[in-house]
Amino acid sequence: MLSVDLNSEYRDKRKDAIKRVIASMTVGKDVSGLFPDVLKNMQTDDLEQKKLVYLYLMNYAKTQPELVILAVNTFVKDSEDPNPLVRALAIRTMGCLRAEKIIDYLCDPLQRALRDHNPYVRKTAALCAAKLYDLKPELVIENGFLDQLRDMISDSNPMVVANTVAALTDIHISATSNQPSDSTSDPAVFSITSAILNKLLIALNECSEWGRVAILNALARYDATDDKESEHICERVVPQFQHVNGSVVLAAMKVIMIHIRNLIRKMAPPIVTLLSSPPEVQWVALRNINLLLQKRSDLLSNEMRVFFCKYNDPLYVKIEKLDIMVRLASDSNVDALLSELKDIKAIGQTAILIESAAERCVNVLLELINTRVSYVVQEAVVVMKDIFRKYPLTYEGVIPTLCANLEKLDEPEAKTSLIWIIGEYADKIDNADELLGIFVDSFIEESYQVQLQTLTAVVKLFLKKPDSSQGVVQRVLNTATKDCDSPDVRDRAYIYWRLLSTDPGAAKAVVLAHRPPISIPRTTVSPALLEELLGEISSLASVYHKPAQTFVGHGRVGADSVQRKGSEISDAQKALQTVVAGQQAENLLDLGDDSAQDEQPSGLAATQILPSTPAAANFLSGTSANPLDDLVSIFGGMETMDTGAGSLSTALSPTVTSLSSPFEGFGGSPAPPSQPAQNAQPQEDLLGLF
Amino acid sequence: MAIDGLIILDPTGRPIIQSSYTTYPAAYPLLHIEALNNALAKAPREGSVDPVIYVGELSCSSACCHVEVGGMRFLATISGDVDPLIAFAFLDAFIEILQDYFGVVSVATLKDNFDIVYQLLEETLDSSGHPLTTSPNLLSDIVLSPSLISKLLASVSPATPGVPSVRQGGSFGSNGASGAFTSPIPWRKAGVRHNHNEILFDVVEEMRGIVGKNGTTLVSNVFGKIESNSKLSGTPDLTLTFTNPNVMTDCAFHPCVRLQKWTRDNALSFVPPEGRFILADYQYRPPQSALVSNVPIPLSLKANMDMGEFGGTFALTLTSRLIKVMENLELKFYLGEDATSAQCTLSSAGSSVGSVGSADGSWSFNSRTKMLQWEILNMRSSGSWILRGSWTSKIKAPRPAHAFQIHFEIPSYSFSSLKVDQLRLSSETYKMYKGVRMRSKGSIEWRW
Repeated sequence: MLSVDLNSEYRDKRKDAIKRVIASMTVGKDVSGLFPDVLKNMQTDDLEQKKLVYLYLMNYAKTQPELVILAVNTFVKDSEDPNPLVRALAIRTMGCLRAEKIIDYLCDPLQRALRDHNPYVRKTAALCAAKLYDLKPELVIENGFLDQLRDMISDSNPMVVANTVAALTDIHISATSNQPSDSTSDPAVFSITSAILNKLLIALNECSEWGRVAILNALARYDATDDKESEHICERVVPQFQHVNGSVVLAAMKVIMIHIRNLIRKMAPPIVTLLSSPPEVQWVALRNINLLLQKRSDLLSNEMRVFFCKYNDPLYVKIEKLDIMVRLASDSNVDALLSELKDIKAIGQTAILIESAAERCVNVLLELINTRVSYVVQEAVVVMKDIFRKYPLTYEGVIPTLCANLEKLDEPEAKTSLIWIIGEYADKIDNADELLGIFVDSFIEESYQVQLQTLTAVVKLFLKKPDSSQGVVQRVLNTATKDCDSPDVRDRAYIYWRLLSTDPGAAKAVVLAHRPPISIPRTTVSPALLEELLGEISSLASVYHKPAQTFVGHGRVGADSVQRKGSEISDAQKALQTVVAGQQAENLLDLGDDSAQDEQPSGLAATQILPSTPAAANFLSGTSANPLDDLVSIFGGMETMDTGAGSLSTALSPTVTSLSSPFEGFGGSPAPPSQPAQNAQPQEDLLGLF
Repeated sequence: MAIDGLIILDPTGRPIIQSSYTTYPAAYPLLHIEALNNALAKAPREGSVDPVIYVGELSCSSACCHVEVGGMRFLATISGDVDPLIAFAFLDAFIEILQDYFGVVSVATLKDNFDIVYQLLEETLDSSGHPLTTSPNLLSDIVLSPSLISKLLASVSPATPGVPSVRQGGSFGSNGASGAFTSPIPWRKAGVRHNHNEILFDVVEEMRGIVGKNGTTLVSNVFGKIESNSKLSGTPDLTLTFTNPNVMTDCAFHPCVRLQKWTRDNALSFVPPEGRFILADYQYRPPQSALVSNVPIPLSLKANMDMGEFGGTFALTLTSRLIKVMENLELKFYLGEDATSAQCTLSSAGSSVGSVGSADGSWSFNSRTKMLQWEILNMRSSGSWILRGSWTSKIKAPRPAHAFQIHFEIPSYSFSSLKVDQLRLSSETYKMYKGVRMRSKGSIEWRW
């Protein structure tokens, strides 16, 4: 039926039939049987019909190259058509066919097209030359297309210049990836000289946005001879910040970063403008901003409000915004930040949720504690405890500040938090016994949670520093067993007493059982990597915060090989890769978005699956090594739950929930199994609040 | 830079149309589709799938950048170390082109016009991954829009007034191309002729703000846009001046604007593209206070919320602080996952003539989205509108959103009071009709 229509004497009928063929092709039906019939319709004045036929050819060129050869004559004829659109279309399609047999016929038409008087044909031909290089580099070189392309950099039409630059860059990439090291002599290498530089700078302001991106990317590769030239480039590039297209703006920033290795004030406004874009663009922008801020955190310090999260923002945008807000925190805007984060707990949640932000959060908290406003200090202390739990042994430096505010605390939760910290770090705090002594003195008046926590902390202190704390521990056990109303406190005191008197070793194993330290890097990315990534602003690398080598595999399929990146490795990059290898074990800020990647799970991803990792196994078996544990680990479990009740369960991090759940299950504590599920909800809502 | 291709998925995740991927294995686009569909299926809720999804299964590694339009997913696959922003910018441009061609972008329009979509894909994205022509101006000469095709078929006489001459004639390509691509100005084709020359400017300002629990404005920014529609013959060289250009900060311009002139004289000097385009983007910052650059929010909301078990009650009072009439005011309130129903009564009070009735507003509760919506079509100045009501929830402690989303429009108004001084035309001698309109809208998050 279709075949009849394709051969119909009526033009409209034939055209309609072609459309139906294409429609079938789209839904995956095999219409290759109609090849000869479709081909007959290739010679037509109707450009639309011609395009559809070309579309058909492209689709079957791969599977049936022997049929496509039948079309060659028409292609060659079309490449001499008086209509420039037809000429360009023929050249473009021939370049796409990727059939060996066609390619040999491509050279002459391409030769003509590169010199065509119509710029549309020239700019199409430029890209076609790059495609030819991809298939048969020798043909490009033999025919002198490379030289022709180089001449076209001086073309009068800026769009031709832009496409030429794009083509030469493609050829350059493909050439340098196939043959390592000695490629400097390769004619295909597109080195940008200062003569070319000037032509690029002129064309930059006159071509389309895509052309600008191509030219800016080329400028980013240029090695400036001196600072003056660098400045000159930047002067010409900075106006691109005012382009409406965000990718032009980012590409321009990349050039600036590479040429002056610094950030300039003028970058701030376009960044802010990007944030009024759709969420997807915002996200990419935010990831890049995050990187820029690590280099210079004051760049946007007056702009923090722009990063305030909206309820409607997608989660991925919220997380980036939070991270950036915390990065932006400084003396001048900390008030705004805190009021935005609603309460101090949110900062702790930020710290726990986003590891890379933790240090900044801690600094913010310290500033808060230094305000010495009672309620602020109390909340901050509670949050600090969560952070200590999450990141043990990382922020010991702040302990003295916390202890200095002991007398400010009157709420039980704040007290238990501080007591927990003192107990946990008893060996690092010189006067731990004195500090805990204060709480022991007032033991009876304290609330039940504080009593429990004091008890445990004192026992920890005793186990760590037995010499100096004998008196305190004796006192607390005495008071707790004799004068205390709460059966829980009494029971725990009895068990500790028993343990300490019969087997101090076991007591140590139980009470001091350590959570596995979670190692985290102090900043999101290492300084060396940061430097590298800043040069990669406006690229996938900058979005993933990983150097390109770690995820850009082997370029385009078929065309390139594994060596693509390998060949470009300079000493600096080798060093970098070493850094990266180290980093992979640690973590970059990847919120599980790259789980497909073939590398060690890191960061949050790693902690989430903790229960199944060896570390978790040790953690669990460590506590079960001792037969007494079954009994005593109840306290381990309870301890987690007690302190957790106030803060942990509300904590945002799924990590924390998953960490505490093995405890509960193991200790056989009365917590219902649905606990994690219950936790999950407030957690989700809290996030939703931002 | 390499955008390997573009794929359009229908709401169920099946591809409708995709670019040819000639240089890639057949599995390549499929892998990306699968990766996206998997990610979407796994997502606990909307907005939690990263816009860039990494696909590492193939020997090469690539990523897929996706956006949602009209229930469909447009995804661009990129390989190599490419700026994902290029992909998003391209998707954006492509979707805009589709809107230009078909009016509405939906599964139906795309399926009906698949041949045109294919042609557009071929023209806008080269198989080497470089975006080509995305200017609607130039594309209209290479790919005919469906309306033009029907027009051509319908009209026997080729001379349709108002349509630029280059578009006329059956074999549009031969003369169209010479116009489009010999032009020395990339955004404007040469030889355009109009019987009636006119250029219109729409200044659209959008306020985005957040108001805190205590009613203080945490942040409010006004982003402005000068949308233009130009139907001018020849090569018109325009100069647009403002009486108060200083209200525009952080400007971004269409490439046609001569930046140096702007920096020097604060005047927009440009040769416009044909048809619709955005001349400039800017942010308005009120000059008086340098530190807190909040623009006052033109309305206020008082919310009395009472959360109970299995539901809650609320009384919301909206008051306009503007002399102008606000239109299409819309307040949205998410009642939480477990909300089951809502009941409200509307009333209004205040100085304005008290017409209490349905004309003043309406409310609705969508049980699927759990969204309570309150609409006021016309909000006069200094009146108050009150919405009282209650909602029920399946769970004991209901969890509604702690923020209201408020949207409104203000016709013939601009937050910045930006004023056009004059528009001069040089290089052409004809008289042209000029028009400037102001329009404002707002989207405010009001927390409680």
